[in-house]
Amino acid sequence: MDRGGTVALVTALIGVCWAMMILVILGGRLRRREERDQRGEVGEWALLEATAMAAPATGTVAEDRVVLLQGLQSSEPEVRAASVTALGRLGHRHEWAIDGLIEALADGYDSPVRVTAVLDDLAPRPGTRLLPLLRHPSDSVRFSAVRLLARYPSLALRHVPDATRDASSQIRAAALETLRATTSGEALRCALERLEDPHPLVRAHAVRTAGAVAGARCVALVVPALGDRSWWVRDAARETLTAAGPEVADAVLAALQDENVDMRGCAALVLQELGIEHEPVVEELARPVERILAVVEGGRREEPSRPRRVVPLVLPIAVLETA
Amino acid sequence: VTFEALLRTSVLVCTLYLLVVYGMYVWLMLVGFVETRRRLRERAGDDLDMLASTRFAPGVSIIVPAYNESIGMPDAVRSLLTIDYPDFEVIVVNDGSTDDTLAGLIDALGLVRAGASSREVVVSEPVTGYYRLPRDRRLLVVDKSNGGKADALNAGLNHCRNRYVCAVDADMVFTRTALSRAMREIVSDPAHIVGLTSFFEIAREPAKSLEDGVRFTGPDTRPIFAFQTLDYLRSFFNNRIPWARHNFMLCAAGAFQIWRRDLVDDVGGWSRDYTCEDIELTFRVHRVLRARGARYRIACLPDCVGVTEGPDTLRKLVSQRERWQRVILETCWDNRRMCFNPRYGKVGLLGLPYYLLSEIVAPVFETLALATLTASAVTGLVDWQEFALLTLLIMLANSVLTTGALLMLDLNAKTYRLSRMIRLLALMPLEMVVYRPVIAWARVKGTWRYARGDKAWHKFERNTRVKTA
Repeated sequence: MDRGGTVALVTALIGVCWAMMILVILGGRLRRREERDQRGEVGEWALLEATAMAAPATGTVAEDRVVLLQGLQSSEPEVRAASVTALGRLGHRHEWAIDGLIEALADGYDSPVRVTAVLDDLAPRPGTRLLPLLRHPSDSVRFSAVRLLARYPSLALRHVPDATRDASSQIRAAALETLRATTSGEALRCALERLEDPHPLVRAHAVRTAGAVAGARCVALVVPALGDRSWWVRDAARETLTAAGPEVADAVLAALQDENVDMRGCAALVLQELGIEHEPVVEELARPVERILAVVEGGRREEPSRPRRVVPLVLPIAVLETA
Repeated sequence: VTFEALLRTSVLVCTLYLLVVYGMYVWLMLVGFVETRRRLRERAGDDLDMLASTRFAPGVSIIVPAYNESIGMPDAVRSLLTIDYPDFEVIVVNDGSTDDTLAGLIDALGLVRAGASSREVVVSEPVTGYYRLPRDRRLLVVDKSNGGKADALNAGLNHCRNRYVCAVDADMVFTRTALSRAMREIVSDPAHIVGLTSFFEIAREPAKSLEDGVRFTGPDTRPIFAFQTLDYLRSFFNNRIPWARHNFMLCAAGAFQIWRRDLVDDVGGWSRDYTCEDIELTFRVHRVLRARGARYRIACLPDCVGVTEGPDTLRKLVSQRERWQRVILETCWDNRRMCFNPRYGKVGLLGLPYYLLSEIVAPVFETLALATLTASAVTGLVDWQEFALLTLLIMLANSVLTTGALLMLDLNAKTYRLSRMIRLLALMPLEMVVYRPVIAWARVKGTWRYARGDKAWHKFERNTRVKTA
């Protein structure tokens, strides 16, 4: 075949290919009209979804159970996700579905966020079944368990205070967050204990918890946090004091005389948000521009000597951090 | 050496180049189909409602840098505040606009002056004021001196309080499910997904392109927008999605990019030393994490998260594309040590060589191919019949790739009406002779400006439209 013939043949082949792709698009559209919104006719996930939808009506529990529990351990992420969703729907009726989800969380079968969210949606059914998870060796599982217990104040009061002394800072912070919901004396005690925690995230949660439980009564303990070396703690203190209302004004005004520049800046912000007009407040609020200019000239300000952090990419719990 | 010999050599070189590049494009398209199939299966188990209501959804801070964006800004911010997601904040950074961007926002949304403090983990120009909504703490407007888009993003980063940051363009209007779709992917593998980008549409007026804040009304079929739509489809479905599948995402699109906040802090925020910031940050993340031997992923979704504004004139289009060409050149040059370097895995062995062939040397070969083909026809090296056939071959080959992208979009979501799809299909063969030469020119211009050391943004004016209150 000569050169022209070859080019013509290749052109024809590509033309046919293009035409076929167009036919696939148009054919897909026509078929779609006939099967509107019928999602997923093939695949294991579809079976799981269908099972979940049909289970309340048919009551074929034994078969569902086998399929769904196997689905949790599937190598396909889509199948695992579908199984978790399906178990979440069935959990409102069947105890075994809740057990399956707790097992999925403990054994790390699927994304901890998804499983935890589904279990949270089933509250109060999981209840005491969650307690063994507090002793699980995995940080991620203990973290989820601590946060799930926020829905069960009496259980949280009895079992979560220990978690405020966990080795993981994420879990200590989560425990304080959970206890905050109980608004109890025990929550306040734990929060005060953790105000000096080495990790800023824990200190920030301790400040928020103290504020949530004691309000303006904890002002003397929260005001020093306005000058904390970490922005997270300062910001938590600022929000806490602002939420406590004008009662805290005197203590915050005194902070304007502090030699710590962060303390004065945050105190001024609190007073501004509280609507308190005071000359030192105006002066202090004018200073951030100067401070920022100094930062621009001098590079990073906060924690200048901190060691270079290694991003904890292999620890799922790092992603569950709340601030 | 005769002219004919030179021409023959040129034909051979161009043919080889086109075959290699086309082979890569076809491979990536096939990978895109595999990924589309996976997404289709996954979609059946969509649990967006769960994610949109659970207290376990990871918090997201959305940063919107704005410079002279008075026209579309209120619409963009309103669309952001209507997003269905349980835990997010919007930080609009007015980057020293010289128009009434800030005043327009204050008037349109009823903002009041407020106080705030920042973390100051990365350097940015001084902040001169803060504004908030009286009853909605989710919105913070940061007013600062001009420092460029990267600087504005850094200022926003300093104010972020959530675990993830989402950097978006000020001209983008979002679907209500944008965050829940994106975060659904992230929570499926939170330990490894450090970044994510997603598909978005383009339109002349984004605010008018979404029905009920959810459904895209369909592509604009005026040629300049239709061709850009086809270009975007290819860049997402034939490029970013396959790159993400093989874990060598080369550019998390600046219009919608989500990153782990601690990672962005750690790599020092967005760089102010480049024409654009998105490609550079993506490369820096790869460089840092690969050097640490970390296991990570930067994902890309085929779901439409919003609509951005596309240039409505050729001049604006060329200005935009020449800027993109410059930043690719800047980034690739500064990361040249990664190229063919096994230490950087697929990014070094596949990603950078791909950019080298498809973007960096492309202007040279595209111009050479066009000149060679024309010269061959004029000198009689190929007859006119062959010339016509070769032109048709190139047009059809390009159409196959674009149709592949359109097919993937259609499999994912039937957002385009059939009549508009047919118009797009009809325009496809013309793309090679009408649209691609314009882009080739923009690339040549970008390369020339890069060689001259030009790093200016050359921001094009927003499309004319009636301001909304």
